[in-house]
Amino acid sequence: MFDLSVAEVGAVNVVTSDNGGLSNDQIAEMATNKIVYVSDSAPPPIKEQAHVFSDKVHNILRYYVDLARREERATIVQTIKEAGHPDLANIIRRL
Amino acid sequence: MAIAQAMCSSFKKELLEGTHNFATGGNAFKLALFAEGSGGKSSTTATLGAASTILVTTGEVASSGSYVTGGAALTKVGATLSGTTGITDFADLSFTTATITAMGALIYNDTNGNKAVCVLDFTSNKTSTSGTFTIQFPTADASNAIIRIA
Repeated sequence: MFDLSVAEVGAVNVVTSDNGGLSNDQIAEMATNKIVYVSDSAPPPIKEQAHVFSDKVHNILRYYVDLARREERATIVQTIKEAGHPDLANIIRRL
Repeated sequence: MAIAQAMCSSFKKELLEGTHNFATGGNAFKLALFAEGSGGKSSTTATLGAASTILVTTGEVASSGSYVTGGAALTKVGATLSGTTGITDFADLSFTTATITAMGALIYNDTNGNKAVCVLDFTSNKTSTSGTFTIQFPTADASNAIIRIA
């Protein structure tokens, strides 16, 4: 006899934004969630250590998300400028 | 509650009948968003839970931005084992430039007659206004994966 004792559905995390895309912080938080999971049932010292690690991962990811977006914008600005649209390039540069 | 998180009862039976294939290259699965409190298209309210058997249009949110009624295709990560627990996972799903208020979602099998898999309850209204609406799936392990069979 097969006994499927537990069939469960996990909880999703919904992240939203208004008037534009997700912020760098939201993206860094989502990436951190994928890398570090801190179990509610972990012993307190382990949990504390895991939270510290999670914060460090978040800060590093936040820095590189910032950098990636800035560098991507720089490439876009340059391409638009070269195509003869300096005003549009300036708007994007100021984002 | 009009939207209650659950693995659909019909899905459990259909698993035994081989209706759903989560392997890479298997069936195509989609996720559709639903609203409560007359927030769905044409002021409808969703009723979703363990008794759901198939995709319904009542209570589904209206098309907006990159969200189109019927929902969007999920990218399967594939079925695997975490210890002795069978799990499956999907890539996160985003709808951009969308004005959406949703209370939950239905994952369904787009290949096999829109048969329901599970209902996701967001526990509160989640709203994007001319922005991004992202569903991030949980860690794919025996304790958290989106679909787990122990």
